[in-house]
Amino acid sequence: MPILDSGTAEGVKQELADLGGPVRLVMFTQEFECDLCAEARALVEEVAATSEQLAAEIYNFVTDKEKADSLGIDKIPAIAVIGAEDYGLRFYGIPSGYEFASLLAAIKAAGSGGAHLEDDTVAFLQALREPLHIQVFVTPTCPYCQSAVMLAHRLGVASRLVRADMVEATEFPHLAVKYSVMGVPRTVINDTVHLEGAVPEARLVDKLREAAEAAGQS
Amino acid sequence: MESISLGAAGAPYDLIVIGGGPAGSTAALYAARAGHRTLVIDKGLASGALGKASQIVNYPGAKGPLTGADLVRSMRDQAASFGAEFVTEKVLRVDLKAEPKQVWAAEPYQARAVVIATGALGRQQHVPGEERLLGRGVSYCATCDGAFFQGQPVAVAGNNDEAVDEALTMTRFATKVHLLSPTTELEANEELAQELASHPKAALHLGVRVLEVLGENRVEGVRFAAKKGDQEEQTIPVSGVFFYLQGTQPITDFLYDQLPVSEGGCLIAGEYRETTLPGVFAAGDVVCKHLKQSVVAAAEGAQAAMAADRYLSGREKLRPDWRHS
Repeated sequence: MPILDSGTAEGVKQELADLGGPVRLVMFTQEFECDLCAEARALVEEVAATSEQLAAEIYNFVTDKEKADSLGIDKIPAIAVIGAEDYGLRFYGIPSGYEFASLLAAIKAAGSGGAHLEDDTVAFLQALREPLHIQVFVTPTCPYCQSAVMLAHRLGVASRLVRADMVEATEFPHLAVKYSVMGVPRTVINDTVHLEGAVPEARLVDKLREAAEAAGQS
Repeated sequence: MESISLGAAGAPYDLIVIGGGPAGSTAALYAARAGHRTLVIDKGLASGALGKASQIVNYPGAKGPLTGADLVRSMRDQAASFGAEFVTEKVLRVDLKAEPKQVWAAEPYQARAVVIATGALGRQQHVPGEERLLGRGVSYCATCDGAFFQGQPVAVAGNNDEAVDEALTMTRFATKVHLLSPTTELEANEELAQELASHPKAALHLGVRVLEVLGENRVEGVRFAAKKGDQEEQTIPVSGVFFYLQGTQPITDFLYDQLPVSEGGCLIAGEYRETTLPGVFAAGDVVCKHLKQSVVAAAEGAQAAMAADRYLSGREKLRPDWRHS
């Protein structure tokens, strides 16, 4: 049984009608010890089938380790959304529930290669010298989370120094423990700075600045 | 697997009204009747000041007996009869400078104009420990965070539909759900309240004030006391505290400073209910006034809708030409 019902698939098709350029959904999976890998793979393949500009590439996390390493993939299920170049947009865990919207937004952002951001944010990113790794912890039932993920991904598109991950907290409980996730969205930047909630862009940029300054001093 | 939501905003509405009390419902009635595609986003019938009122005796033309909820329902039905749409969701964030204006609730929405009618039941201040332990056991969304409290006891502070609904959500995860209600009777949908009261995992503490959220690096307990009488304070061990309390502050937090507020925290609106942003209007108790009455809020809702109508039809600079009437 398909994951997207016919009405949803048609909606996705319309939503992704004009991507501006080809987008690859590069997915890493394996057939054992991964609760939602099969569903995530089906979702990726069904979404890819809605547009000629979309392609699904499925890799085995163990046997294709070199490929996984080249994209910085360290856990599964994982989806790298890659446009004309790799903007560092990643989904760890299945982007279902409210996060499906984040997947569609990431595909559109990767296709166009453009990100609508405030002037101050653009200036900050242009001045950035240190890499920033943004991890946004989410649950699929969180209506607040998608805007935090979408913002992180827009930053990824706008700067080669920014990597932006969605991490579904309940699928990676060890990371939830490691990063003390007891509420979502929780954004962790470079393992050093964290932020609660879906905040306006300017507030996230303040935190990114804090993390970049810490990285510059280390 | 969770259900799939496309999450993309549909075609823009002409007008989105945030809040479905007397101001919001009246704005929707006038806007829909003027032919504008109108959406009202509201947290629930009993989430506003009028919806909570047990008896209404001074609303002109509505002699009663009727409750505040009856009156709000009647206003909404009237607006809906002209085509206004209603959804029960909480608005989280807006972008009022964008064109069209963006409104994020459980789903994203967009509109050419917005009326803010969120009322004045916002909380004034946090409980000690609440801010410090946010994300470390303090939460405002059980639906989002419930899974982190599997097999642990939690508390839910509040007495309205939202609080009771979220407390019921938590019974799926927690070993015990303590509802800390500021009133001796719950101000929520009777069925929901009954379901919670009879749930084996729920414990109701009625008429209490939350004094402090306890814990060093994560929530370890909550301290509360009865509002009346000489009962001693109680401390119960919990891993999470979910807040849905209300107060008397205008609800503007979702605006994140996009509009100026007065010293008292009220939105500032002009003669035609306009704000400093084009296409954005404010009505009802969220705007400061001496007389916080439903009839005043309703009148302001009508004014806001007519101002929005002028804005939407590009006539905002026109004035009635009474000389030729």
